[in-house]
Amino acid sequence: MRRGLVLVALLVCGLAAFLALGLGFGDLVPRPGGLKLAGEFLGAAWRPALDYQADFVPQNAPAFLSVALAALRKTLLFAAAAMSLSLLIGTPLGLLGSALVPARVRLPVRVLIALMRSVHELLWAVVLLAALGMSSLTAVIAIAIPFSGTLAKVFSELLDEAPTTAYRALRGTGATPLQAFLGGLLPVAAPDMGAYAFYRFECAVRSSAVLGFFGFPTIGYYLKRSFENLHYREVWTWLYMIVLLVLVLEWWSAHLRRRFVA
Amino acid sequence: MSVAQRVHELRRQRPRDRFLRGSLVLLAAVVIYAWFGGDVRVTELFSERRAANLARFFGHDAMPRPLRDAEGGGGFGALLQWVGQVWREKGATGVGATFAIAALSIVLAGAYGLLTAPLASRTLMRCDPYLSSEDCAWWRSVSISFRLIAVALRAVPEYMWAFLLLAVLGPTAWPAVLALAVHNAGILSRLGAETVENLPRRPLAGLRRLGASRSQIAVSALYPLGLGRYLLYFFYRFETCVREATVLGMLGVVSLGYFVVEARARDRYDELLLLILFGAILVLAADFISWLARRWLRQAK
Repeated sequence: MRRGLVLVALLVCGLAAFLALGLGFGDLVPRPGGLKLAGEFLGAAWRPALDYQADFVPQNAPAFLSVALAALRKTLLFAAAAMSLSLLIGTPLGLLGSALVPARVRLPVRVLIALMRSVHELLWAVVLLAALGMSSLTAVIAIAIPFSGTLAKVFSELLDEAPTTAYRALRGTGATPLQAFLGGLLPVAAPDMGAYAFYRFECAVRSSAVLGFFGFPTIGYYLKRSFENLHYREVWTWLYMIVLLVLVLEWWSAHLRRRFVA
Repeated sequence: MSVAQRVHELRRQRPRDRFLRGSLVLLAAVVIYAWFGGDVRVTELFSERRAANLARFFGHDAMPRPLRDAEGGGGFGALLQWVGQVWREKGATGVGATFAIAALSIVLAGAYGLLTAPLASRTLMRCDPYLSSEDCAWWRSVSISFRLIAVALRAVPEYMWAFLLLAVLGPTAWPAVLALAVHNAGILSRLGAETVENLPRRPLAGLRRLGASRSQIAVSALYPLGLGRYLLYFFYRFETCVREATVLGMLGVVSLGYFVVEARARDRYDELLLLILFGAILVLAADFISWLARRWLRQAK
Protein backbone atom coordinates (compact mmCIF):
# COMPACT_ATOMS: atom_id res chain seq x y z
CA MET A 1 0.00 0.00 0.00
CA ARG A 2 2.71 2.44 1.06
CA ARG A 3 4.83 1.39 -1.88
CA GLY A 4 1.98 2.03 -4.28
CA LEU A 5 1.51 5.47 -2.78
CA VAL A 6 5.22 6.16 -3.15
CA LEU A 7 5.13 5.13 -6.81
CA VAL A 8 2.20 7.43 -7.56
CA ALA A 9 3.83 10.28 -5.64
CA LEU A 10 7.04 9.80 -7.60
CA LEU A 11 5.23 9.96 -10.92
CA VAL A 12 3.51 13.17 -9.83
CA CYS A 13 6.89 14.62 -8.75
CA GLY A 14 8.45 13.72 -12.09
CA LEU A 15 5.60 15.35 -13.97
CA ALA A 16 5.77 18.48 -11.77
CA ALA A 17 9.52 18.70 -12.40
CA PHE A 18 8.94 18.32 -16.13
CA LEU A 19 6.50 21.22 -16.10
CA ALA A 20 8.64 23.34 -13.77
CA LEU A 21 11.62 23.05 -16.08
CA GLY A 22 9.49 24.20 -18.99
CA LEU A 23 10.53 21.21 -21.04
CA GLY A 24 8.84 20.16 -24.24
CA PHE A 25 9.28 16.99 -26.20
CA GLY A 26 10.01 19.17 -29.20
CA ASP A 27 13.34 20.11 -27.61
CA LEU A 28 14.30 16.45 -27.61
CA VAL A 29 14.58 16.49 -31.38
CA PRO A 30 18.14 17.54 -32.14
CA ARG A 31 18.61 20.80 -33.99
CA PRO A 32 19.51 20.34 -37.66
CA GLY A 33 23.19 20.83 -36.87
CA GLY A 34 22.82 18.61 -33.84
CA LEU A 35 21.41 15.76 -35.86
CA LYS A 36 24.32 15.83 -38.27
CA LEU A 37 26.71 16.02 -35.35
CA ALA A 38 25.03 13.10 -33.61
CA GLY A 39 25.26 11.02 -36.80
CA GLU A 40 28.94 11.76 -37.25
CA PHE A 41 29.62 11.20 -33.60
CA LEU A 42 27.85 7.85 -33.45
CA GLY A 43 29.39 6.82 -36.74
CA ALA A 44 32.83 7.27 -35.20
CA ALA A 45 32.04 4.80 -32.44
CA TRP A 46 33.25 1.86 -34.49
CA ARG A 47 36.57 3.44 -35.28
CA PRO A 48 38.15 4.86 -32.14
CA ALA A 49 41.30 6.81 -32.98
CA LEU A 50 44.66 5.19 -32.42
CA ASP A 51 46.48 8.19 -33.83
CA TYR A 52 45.83 11.94 -34.00
CA GLN A 53 42.82 12.79 -36.08
CA ALA A 54 44.03 16.27 -36.97
CA ASP A 55 45.33 16.85 -40.49
CA PHE A 56 48.32 18.70 -39.21
CA VAL A 57 50.30 17.37 -36.26
CA PRO A 58 53.45 19.15 -35.10
CA GLN A 59 56.53 17.10 -35.79
CA ASN A 60 57.67 16.88 -32.18
CA ALA A 61 54.24 15.97 -30.78
CA PRO A 62 54.27 12.73 -28.76
CA ALA A 63 52.43 9.76 -30.26
CA PHE A 64 48.68 9.79 -29.60
CA LEU A 65 48.75 6.52 -27.74
CA SER A 66 51.49 7.70 -25.41
CA VAL A 67 49.41 10.81 -24.64
CA ALA A 68 46.50 8.50 -23.97
CA LEU A 69 48.53 6.37 -21.60
CA ALA A 70 49.81 9.46 -19.79
CA ALA A 71 46.24 10.71 -19.31
CA LEU A 72 45.16 7.31 -18.05
CA ARG A 73 48.08 7.28 -15.63
CA LYS A 74 47.28 10.75 -14.27
CA THR A 75 43.62 9.84 -13.90
CA LEU A 76 44.47 6.73 -11.90
CA LEU A 77 47.16 8.36 -9.78
CA PHE A 78 45.05 11.40 -8.85
CA ALA A 79 42.27 9.02 -7.83
CA ALA A 80 44.66 6.83 -5.82
CA ALA A 81 46.18 9.82 -4.02
CA ALA A 82 42.74 11.27 -3.29
CA MET A 83 41.40 7.95 -2.08
CA SER A 84 44.33 7.31 0.26
CA LEU A 85 43.91 10.79 1.72
CA SER A 86 40.18 10.16 2.11
CA LEU A 87 40.83 6.92 3.98
CA LEU A 88 43.27 8.72 6.24
CA ILE A 89 40.73 11.44 7.10
CA GLY A 90 37.49 9.51 6.68
CA THR A 91 38.31 6.50 8.85
CA PRO A 92 38.93 8.41 12.12
CA LEU A 93 35.98 10.69 11.37
CA GLY A 94 33.84 7.59 10.80
CA LEU A 95 34.87 6.16 14.16
CA LEU A 96 34.18 9.46 15.91
CA GLY A 97 30.78 9.67 14.20
CA SER A 98 29.67 6.19 15.27
CA ALA A 99 27.41 5.40 18.20
CA LEU A 100 30.42 4.14 20.20
CA VAL A 101 31.37 7.72 20.91
CA PRO A 102 29.51 10.01 23.36
CA ALA A 103 26.95 12.29 21.75
CA ARG A 104 28.79 15.52 22.49
CA VAL A 105 31.62 14.34 20.22
CA ARG A 106 29.52 12.38 17.76
CA LEU A 107 27.05 15.11 16.83
CA PRO A 108 29.55 17.84 15.89
CA VAL A 109 31.54 15.25 13.92
CA ARG A 110 28.40 14.24 12.04
CA VAL A 111 27.68 17.87 11.17
CA LEU A 112 31.23 18.21 9.84
CA ILE A 113 30.81 15.01 7.80
CA ALA A 114 27.55 16.30 6.33
CA LEU A 115 29.13 19.61 5.35
CA MET A 116 32.08 17.92 3.63
CA ARG A 117 29.76 15.62 1.73
CA SER A 118 27.18 18.14 0.69
CA VAL A 119 29.46 20.09 -1.66
CA HIS A 120 30.32 18.33 -4.91
CA GLU A 121 33.98 17.70 -5.75
CA LEU A 122 33.76 19.89 -8.84
CA LEU A 123 32.55 22.80 -6.72
CA TRP A 124 35.38 22.18 -4.28
CA ALA A 125 37.67 22.26 -7.31
CA VAL A 126 36.31 25.66 -8.39
CA VAL A 127 36.84 27.09 -4.90
CA LEU A 128 40.27 25.52 -4.46
CA LEU A 129 41.40 26.67 -7.89
CA ALA A 130 40.55 30.21 -6.84
CA ALA A 131 42.15 29.86 -3.42
CA LEU A 132 45.24 27.82 -4.30
CA GLY A 133 45.64 27.98 -8.05
CA MET A 134 46.27 25.14 -10.48
CA SER A 135 48.24 22.26 -9.02
CA SER A 136 47.95 18.51 -8.96
CA LEU A 137 47.32 18.73 -5.25
CA THR A 138 44.30 20.97 -5.86
CA ALA A 139 42.63 18.14 -7.74
CA VAL A 140 43.53 15.61 -5.07
CA ILE A 141 42.17 17.76 -2.23
CA ALA A 142 39.03 18.63 -4.19
CA ILE A 143 38.19 14.93 -4.52
CA ALA A 144 39.38 14.04 -1.02
CA ILE A 145 37.11 16.44 0.90
CA PRO A 146 33.70 15.07 -0.17
CA PHE A 147 35.04 11.51 -0.42
CA SER A 148 36.32 11.66 3.18
CA GLY A 149 32.87 12.79 4.25
CA THR A 150 31.13 9.98 2.37
CA LEU A 151 33.55 7.33 3.67
CA ALA A 152 33.10 8.65 7.22
CA LYS A 153 29.33 8.53 6.93
CA VAL A 154 29.19 5.02 5.56
CA PHE A 155 31.89 3.71 7.90
CA SER A 156 30.04 5.03 10.93
CA GLU A 157 26.81 3.44 9.69
CA LEU A 158 28.55 0.10 9.07
CA LEU A 159 30.06 0.17 12.56
CA ASP A 160 26.66 0.97 14.05
CA GLU A 161 24.97 -1.85 12.17
CA ALA A 162 27.67 -4.50 12.75
CA PRO A 163 26.64 -7.28 15.18
CA THR A 164 27.98 -6.44 18.63
CA THR A 165 28.09 -9.98 20.08
CA ALA A 166 31.87 -10.30 19.95
CA TYR A 167 32.33 -6.75 21.22
CA ARG A 168 30.09 -7.33 24.24
CA ALA A 169 31.71 -10.69 24.99
CA LEU A 170 35.16 -9.08 25.06
CA ARG A 171 33.89 -6.24 27.25
CA GLY A 172 32.41 -8.84 29.58
CA THR A 173 35.78 -10.55 30.01
CA GLY A 174 37.39 -7.29 31.05
CA ALA A 175 38.71 -5.80 27.83
CA THR A 176 38.87 -2.01 27.66
CA PRO A 177 36.49 -0.36 25.17
CA LEU A 178 39.40 0.23 22.79
CA GLN A 179 40.58 -3.39 22.98
CA ALA A 180 37.06 -4.68 22.51
CA PHE A 181 36.61 -2.37 19.54
CA LEU A 182 39.85 -3.45 17.88
CA GLY A 183 39.31 -7.14 18.57
CA GLY A 184 35.55 -7.51 18.45
CA LEU A 185 33.96 -4.85 16.30
CA LEU A 186 36.44 -3.62 13.70
CA PRO A 187 37.18 -7.12 12.31
CA VAL A 188 33.43 -7.72 11.93
CA ALA A 189 32.85 -4.51 10.00
CA ALA A 190 36.15 -4.48 8.09
CA PRO A 191 35.18 -6.54 5.00
CA ASP A 192 32.17 -4.32 4.29
CA MET A 193 34.23 -1.20 4.92
CA GLY A 194 36.93 -2.43 2.57
CA ALA A 195 34.42 -3.31 -0.14
CA TYR A 196 32.82 0.11 0.11
CA ALA A 197 36.18 1.88 0.01
CA PHE A 198 37.03 -0.04 -3.16
CA TYR A 199 33.75 0.98 -4.74
CA ARG A 200 34.51 4.59 -3.88
CA PHE A 201 37.86 4.20 -5.61
CA GLU A 202 35.94 3.49 -8.79
CA CYS A 203 33.95 6.70 -8.19
CA ALA A 204 37.19 8.59 -7.53
CA VAL A 205 38.53 7.46 -10.90
CA ARG A 206 35.42 8.87 -12.61
CA SER A 207 35.70 12.14 -10.67
CA SER A 208 39.38 12.39 -11.46
CA ALA A 209 38.60 11.92 -15.16
CA VAL A 210 35.94 14.66 -15.05
CA LEU A 211 38.25 17.12 -13.27
CA GLY A 212 40.11 17.26 -16.57
CA PHE A 213 37.32 19.58 -17.77
CA PHE A 214 38.81 22.17 -15.42
CA GLY A 215 42.27 21.92 -16.90
CA PHE A 216 43.84 19.10 -14.90
CA PRO A 217 45.75 16.67 -17.14
CA THR A 218 43.30 13.77 -16.80
CA ILE A 219 41.10 12.08 -19.40
CA GLY A 220 38.40 14.77 -19.25
CA TYR A 221 40.83 17.42 -20.47
CA TYR A 222 41.60 15.51 -23.65
CA LEU A 223 38.03 14.41 -24.18
CA LYS A 224 36.84 18.01 -24.06
CA ARG A 225 39.58 19.17 -26.39
CA SER A 226 39.01 16.38 -28.90
CA PHE A 227 35.26 17.05 -28.92
CA GLU A 228 35.70 20.78 -29.38
CA ASN A 229 38.02 20.09 -32.32
CA LEU A 230 35.34 17.78 -33.76
CA HIS A 231 37.71 14.81 -33.55
CA TYR A 232 35.00 12.33 -32.67
CA ARG A 233 37.09 9.21 -33.17
CA GLU A 234 39.47 10.51 -30.53
CA VAL A 235 36.52 11.18 -28.22
CA TRP A 236 35.53 7.55 -28.53
CA THR A 237 39.04 6.47 -27.63
CA TRP A 238 38.70 8.44 -24.38
CA LEU A 239 35.23 7.08 -23.69
CA TYR A 240 36.34 3.51 -24.27
CA MET A 241 39.29 4.07 -21.97
CA ILE A 242 37.03 5.15 -19.13
CA VAL A 243 34.64 2.25 -19.69
CA LEU A 244 37.54 -0.20 -19.78
CA LEU A 245 39.05 1.25 -16.62
CA VAL A 246 35.72 0.98 -14.80
CA LEU A 247 35.19 -2.57 -16.08
CA VAL A 248 38.60 -3.68 -14.81
CA LEU A 249 38.02 -2.09 -11.42
CA GLU A 250 34.59 -3.65 -11.23
CA TRP A 251 35.90 -7.11 -12.08
CA TRP A 252 38.55 -6.68 -9.43
CA SER A 253 36.15 -5.51 -6.74
CA ALA A 254 33.66 -8.26 -7.57
CA HIS A 255 36.39 -10.86 -7.05
CA LEU A 256 37.43 -9.36 -3.74
CA ARG A 257 33.83 -9.08 -2.61
CA ARG A 258 32.99 -12.66 -3.47
CA ARG A 259 35.76 -13.84 -1.19
CA PHE A 260 35.33 -11.60 1.80
CA VAL A 261 31.83 -10.30 2.05
CA ALA A 262 29.43 -13.07 2.87
CA MET B 1 49.89 -26.53 25.10
CA SER B 2 50.41 -23.11 26.61
CA VAL B 3 48.17 -20.20 25.77
CA ALA B 4 50.97 -18.50 23.86
CA GLN B 5 51.50 -21.60 21.76
CA ARG B 6 47.82 -21.91 21.06
CA VAL B 7 47.63 -18.29 20.00
CA HIS B 8 50.60 -18.83 17.74
CA GLU B 9 48.92 -21.91 16.29
CA LEU B 10 45.68 -20.03 15.65
CA ARG B 11 47.58 -17.21 14.06
CA ARG B 12 49.25 -19.60 11.67
CA GLN B 13 45.92 -21.11 10.74
CA ARG B 14 44.23 -17.80 9.98
CA PRO B 15 42.69 -17.66 6.54
CA ARG B 16 45.09 -16.20 4.03
CA ASP B 17 44.28 -15.35 0.52
CA ARG B 18 46.75 -14.66 -2.24
CA PHE B 19 44.34 -12.56 -4.26
CA LEU B 20 43.58 -10.26 -1.33
CA ARG B 21 47.23 -9.93 -0.41
CA GLY B 22 48.28 -9.27 -3.97
CA SER B 23 45.50 -6.69 -4.34
CA LEU B 24 46.49 -4.88 -1.16
CA VAL B 25 50.17 -4.81 -2.14
CA LEU B 26 49.31 -3.53 -5.59
CA LEU B 27 46.99 -0.83 -4.23
CA ALA B 28 49.58 0.26 -1.67
CA ALA B 29 52.22 0.43 -4.39
CA VAL B 30 49.99 2.60 -6.59
CA VAL B 31 49.26 4.93 -3.65
CA ILE B 32 52.93 5.27 -2.76
CA TYR B 33 53.83 5.88 -6.39
CA ALA B 34 51.09 8.51 -6.66
CA TRP B 35 52.44 10.50 -3.71
CA PHE B 36 56.16 10.03 -4.27
CA GLY B 37 56.45 9.42 -8.01
CA GLY B 38 56.36 13.11 -8.86
CA ASP B 39 52.78 13.31 -10.16
CA VAL B 40 51.30 14.85 -7.02
CA ARG B 41 53.72 17.32 -5.51
CA VAL B 42 52.93 18.11 -1.92
CA THR B 43 55.59 20.83 -1.69
CA GLU B 44 53.76 22.79 -4.39
CA LEU B 45 51.23 23.73 -1.80
CA PHE B 46 53.66 25.58 0.41
CA SER B 47 55.15 28.00 -2.06
CA GLU B 48 55.05 31.68 -1.17
CA ARG B 49 52.95 32.57 -4.17
CA ARG B 50 50.30 30.13 -3.06
CA ALA B 51 50.30 31.50 0.48
CA ALA B 52 49.76 35.00 -0.89
CA ASN B 53 47.00 33.65 -3.13
CA LEU B 54 45.31 32.02 -0.17
CA ALA B 55 45.56 35.15 1.98
CA ARG B 56 44.08 37.29 -0.77
CA PHE B 57 41.29 34.80 -1.34
CA PHE B 58 40.12 34.61 2.24
CA GLY B 59 41.03 38.18 3.17
CA HIS B 60 39.32 39.83 0.27
CA ASP B 61 37.75 37.75 -2.52
CA ALA B 62 35.75 35.41 -0.32
CA MET B 63 34.66 38.11 2.11
CA PRO B 64 31.00 38.98 1.60
CA ARG B 65 30.71 42.29 -0.24
CA PRO B 66 28.81 44.22 2.46
CA LEU B 67 31.46 43.31 5.05
CA ARG B 68 34.40 44.62 3.08
CA ASP B 69 35.63 47.86 4.57
CA ALA B 70 36.49 49.48 1.30
CA GLU B 71 32.90 49.39 0.14
CA GLY B 72 31.22 51.05 3.06
CA GLY B 73 31.45 48.30 5.67
CA GLY B 74 27.82 47.54 6.42
CA GLY B 75 26.88 45.49 9.46
CA PHE B 76 24.88 42.35 9.96
CA GLY B 77 21.79 43.93 8.44
CA ALA B 78 23.61 44.68 5.21
CA LEU B 79 24.89 41.11 5.12
CA LEU B 80 21.39 39.71 5.47
CA GLN B 81 20.14 42.03 2.79
CA TRP B 82 22.90 40.86 0.45
CA VAL B 83 22.11 37.19 1.16
CA GLY B 84 18.45 37.87 0.45
CA GLN B 85 19.26 39.65 -2.77
CA VAL B 86 21.49 36.86 -4.12
CA TRP B 87 18.83 34.33 -3.12
CA ARG B 88 16.05 36.20 -4.94
CA GLU B 89 18.06 36.95 -8.05
CA LYS B 90 19.86 33.64 -8.50
CA GLY B 91 19.64 31.22 -5.63
CA ALA B 92 15.91 30.54 -5.84
CA THR B 93 15.96 29.87 -9.58
CA GLY B 94 19.08 27.74 -9.31
CA VAL B 95 17.90 25.69 -6.36
CA GLY B 96 14.48 25.12 -7.93
CA ALA B 97 15.93 24.06 -11.28
CA THR B 98 18.52 21.82 -9.63
CA PHE B 99 15.88 20.01 -7.63
CA ALA B 100 13.57 19.65 -10.63
CA ILE B 101 16.37 18.27 -12.84
CA ALA B 102 17.25 15.72 -10.16
CA ALA B 103 13.63 14.71 -9.58
CA LEU B 104 12.77 14.22 -13.25
CA SER B 105 15.97 12.34 -14.05
CA ILE B 106 15.72 9.96 -11.12
CA VAL B 107 12.11 9.13 -12.06
CA LEU B 108 13.21 8.36 -15.63
CA ALA B 109 16.17 6.31 -14.39
CA GLY B 110 13.97 4.51 -11.89
CA ALA B 111 11.50 3.55 -14.61
CA TYR B 112 14.25 2.14 -16.80
CA GLY B 113 15.69 0.20 -13.90
CA LEU B 114 12.29 -1.18 -12.97
CA LEU B 115 11.61 -2.36 -16.52
CA THR B 116 15.00 -3.92 -17.14
CA ALA B 117 15.72 -5.44 -13.72
CA PRO B 118 14.07 -8.82 -14.49
CA LEU B 119 15.60 -8.84 -17.98
CA ALA B 120 19.08 -8.32 -16.60
CA SER B 121 18.74 -10.86 -13.79
CA ARG B 122 20.57 -14.13 -14.19
CA THR B 123 17.97 -16.09 -12.27
CA LEU B 124 14.96 -15.36 -14.46
CA MET B 125 16.77 -15.47 -17.79
CA ARG B 126 17.27 -19.23 -17.96
CA CYS B 127 15.73 -22.04 -20.00
CA ASP B 128 13.56 -23.05 -17.11
CA PRO B 129 13.91 -20.36 -14.45
CA TYR B 130 14.04 -21.43 -10.81
CA LEU B 131 13.55 -25.11 -11.68
CA SER B 132 16.78 -26.09 -13.36
CA SER B 133 20.13 -24.34 -13.39
CA GLU B 134 20.64 -25.16 -17.04
CA ASP B 135 21.72 -22.22 -19.18
CA CYS B 136 20.64 -21.66 -22.70
CA ALA B 137 22.25 -19.34 -25.15
CA TRP B 138 19.31 -17.12 -26.02
CA TRP B 139 18.09 -16.27 -22.54
CA ARG B 140 21.62 -15.93 -21.34
CA SER B 141 22.42 -13.48 -24.09
CA VAL B 142 19.39 -11.37 -23.07
CA SER B 143 20.62 -10.95 -19.52
CA ILE B 144 24.21 -10.40 -20.61
CA SER B 145 23.26 -7.68 -23.09
CA PHE B 146 21.14 -5.81 -20.54
CA ARG B 147 24.02 -6.03 -18.09
CA LEU B 148 26.50 -4.73 -20.63
CA ILE B 149 24.22 -1.83 -21.49
CA ALA B 150 23.95 -1.04 -17.78
CA VAL B 151 27.73 -1.03 -17.35
CA ALA B 152 28.28 1.18 -20.39
CA LEU B 153 25.63 3.67 -19.24
CA ARG B 154 27.11 3.81 -15.78
CA ALA B 155 30.80 3.88 -16.62
CA VAL B 156 30.63 7.25 -18.38
CA PRO B 157 30.36 10.03 -15.79
CA GLU B 158 27.22 12.23 -15.76
CA TYR B 159 29.24 15.32 -16.51
CA MET B 160 30.58 13.83 -19.75
CA TRP B 161 27.16 12.60 -20.83
CA ALA B 162 25.82 16.11 -20.28
CA PHE B 163 28.70 17.66 -22.19
CA LEU B 164 28.09 15.39 -25.19
CA LEU B 165 24.29 15.70 -25.10
CA LEU B 166 24.47 19.48 -24.84
CA ALA B 167 26.16 19.65 -28.24
CA VAL B 168 23.40 17.57 -29.82
CA LEU B 169 20.30 18.93 -28.09
CA GLY B 170 21.24 22.53 -27.44
CA PRO B 171 20.89 24.52 -24.23
CA THR B 172 17.66 23.32 -22.64
CA ALA B 173 17.46 21.38 -19.39
CA TRP B 174 17.21 18.11 -21.36
CA PRO B 175 20.97 17.38 -21.60
CA ALA B 176 21.31 17.62 -17.81
CA VAL B 177 18.16 15.57 -17.21
CA LEU B 178 19.11 12.89 -19.71
CA ALA B 179 22.74 12.74 -18.56
CA LEU B 180 21.69 12.09 -14.98
CA ALA B 181 18.94 9.73 -16.09
CA VAL B 182 21.26 7.68 -18.31
CA HIS B 183 24.02 7.26 -15.73
CA ASN B 184 21.59 6.39 -12.94
CA ALA B 185 19.56 4.12 -15.21
CA GLY B 186 22.71 2.01 -15.52
CA ILE B 187 23.16 1.91 -11.76
CA LEU B 188 19.51 1.21 -10.90
CA SER B 189 19.21 -1.45 -13.61
CA ARG B 190 22.08 -3.34 -12.06
CA LEU B 191 20.90 -2.87 -8.48
CA GLY B 192 17.42 -3.94 -9.56
CA ALA B 193 18.83 -7.08 -11.18
CA GLU B 194 20.70 -7.88 -7.98
CA THR B 195 17.52 -7.38 -5.98
CA VAL B 196 15.69 -9.84 -8.22
CA GLU B 197 18.52 -12.35 -7.95
CA ASN B 198 18.51 -12.16 -4.17
CA LEU B 199 14.80 -12.91 -3.78
CA PRO B 200 13.94 -16.19 -2.05
CA ARG B 201 13.80 -18.86 -4.72
CA ARG B 202 11.30 -21.28 -3.34
CA PRO B 203 8.05 -19.35 -3.86
CA LEU B 204 9.23 -18.46 -7.36
CA ALA B 205 10.01 -22.07 -8.17
CA GLY B 206 6.51 -22.91 -6.91
CA LEU B 207 4.95 -20.42 -9.29
CA ARG B 208 6.98 -21.79 -12.16
CA ARG B 209 5.94 -25.33 -11.36
CA LEU B 210 2.34 -24.19 -11.59
CA GLY B 211 3.13 -23.17 -15.15
CA ALA B 212 3.66 -19.42 -14.81
CA SER B 213 5.50 -17.73 -17.65
CA ARG B 214 8.44 -15.40 -17.09
CA SER B 215 6.32 -12.28 -17.37
CA GLN B 216 3.69 -13.73 -15.06
CA ILE B 217 6.36 -14.49 -12.49
CA ALA B 218 7.71 -10.96 -12.85
CA VAL B 219 4.33 -9.25 -12.44
CA SER B 220 2.91 -11.45 -9.72
CA ALA B 221 6.04 -12.09 -7.64
CA LEU B 222 9.26 -10.29 -8.56
CA TYR B 223 7.84 -6.77 -8.52
CA PRO B 224 5.76 -7.09 -5.36
CA LEU B 225 8.58 -8.84 -3.50
CA GLY B 226 11.45 -6.70 -4.71
CA LEU B 227 9.86 -3.26 -4.84
CA GLY B 228 10.62 -2.30 -1.24
CA ARG B 229 14.31 -2.95 -1.59
CA TYR B 230 14.42 -1.28 -5.00
CA LEU B 231 12.82 1.87 -3.63
CA LEU B 232 15.49 2.05 -0.93
CA TYR B 233 18.13 2.09 -3.66
CA PHE B 234 16.05 4.59 -5.59
CA PHE B 235 16.00 7.12 -2.78
CA TYR B 236 19.66 6.58 -2.09
CA ARG B 237 20.41 7.44 -5.72
CA PHE B 238 18.09 10.45 -5.52
CA GLU B 239 20.46 12.03 -2.98
CA THR B 240 23.41 11.67 -5.32
CA CYS B 241 21.33 12.99 -8.22
CA VAL B 242 20.70 16.26 -6.40
CA ARG B 243 24.39 16.58 -5.66
CA GLU B 244 25.28 15.99 -9.31
CA ALA B 245 22.52 18.25 -10.61
CA THR B 246 24.05 21.26 -8.82
CA VAL B 247 27.20 20.74 -10.85
CA LEU B 248 25.78 20.04 -14.32
CA GLY B 249 24.72 23.67 -14.58
CA MET B 250 28.38 24.53 -15.01
CA LEU B 251 28.02 23.37 -18.60
CA GLY B 252 25.46 26.10 -19.26
CA VAL B 253 22.14 24.70 -18.08
CA VAL B 254 20.22 26.73 -15.52
CA SER B 255 20.99 24.89 -12.30
CA LEU B 256 23.04 26.27 -9.42
CA GLY B 257 26.27 25.44 -11.23
CA TYR B 258 25.38 27.92 -13.98
CA PHE B 259 25.26 30.80 -11.51
CA VAL B 260 28.45 29.54 -9.87
CA VAL B 261 30.34 29.70 -13.16
CA GLU B 262 28.82 33.07 -13.92
CA ALA B 263 29.90 34.44 -10.54
CA ARG B 264 33.40 33.14 -11.19
CA ALA B 265 33.52 34.81 -14.59
CA ARG B 266 32.70 38.13 -12.90
CA ASP B 267 35.28 37.46 -10.16
CA ARG B 268 32.59 37.53 -7.52
CA TYR B 269 33.88 34.85 -5.20
CA ASP B 270 31.77 35.95 -2.23
CA GLU B 271 28.66 35.33 -4.30
CA LEU B 272 30.11 32.06 -5.60
CA LEU B 273 30.60 30.76 -2.07
CA LEU B 274 27.12 31.82 -1.03
CA LEU B 275 25.64 29.95 -4.02
CA ILE B 276 27.64 26.85 -3.08
CA LEU B 277 26.24 27.19 0.43
CA PHE B 278 22.69 27.27 -1.01
CA GLY B 279 23.59 24.10 -2.90
CA ALA B 280 24.90 22.43 0.24
CA ILE B 281 21.67 23.22 2.07
CA LEU B 282 19.66 21.78 -0.83
CA VAL B 283 21.74 18.58 -0.80
CA LEU B 284 21.28 18.21 2.95
CA ALA B 285 17.54 18.75 2.52
CA ALA B 286 17.46 16.05 -0.16
CA ASP B 287 19.40 13.72 2.14
CA PHE B 288 16.78 14.34 4.78
CA ILE B 289 13.86 13.71 2.42
CA SER B 290 15.50 10.52 1.22
CA TRP B 291 16.12 9.41 4.82
CA LEU B 292 12.49 10.10 5.75
CA ALA B 293 11.21 8.19 2.72
CA ARG B 294 13.45 5.20 3.41
CA ARG B 295 12.43 5.09 7.06
CA TRP B 296 8.78 5.29 6.12
CA LEU B 297 9.21 2.45 3.63
CA ARG B 298 11.06 0.26 6.12
CA GLN B 299 8.32 0.69 8.69
CA ALA B 300 5.74 -0.50 6.19
CA LYS B 301 7.00 -4.06 6.46
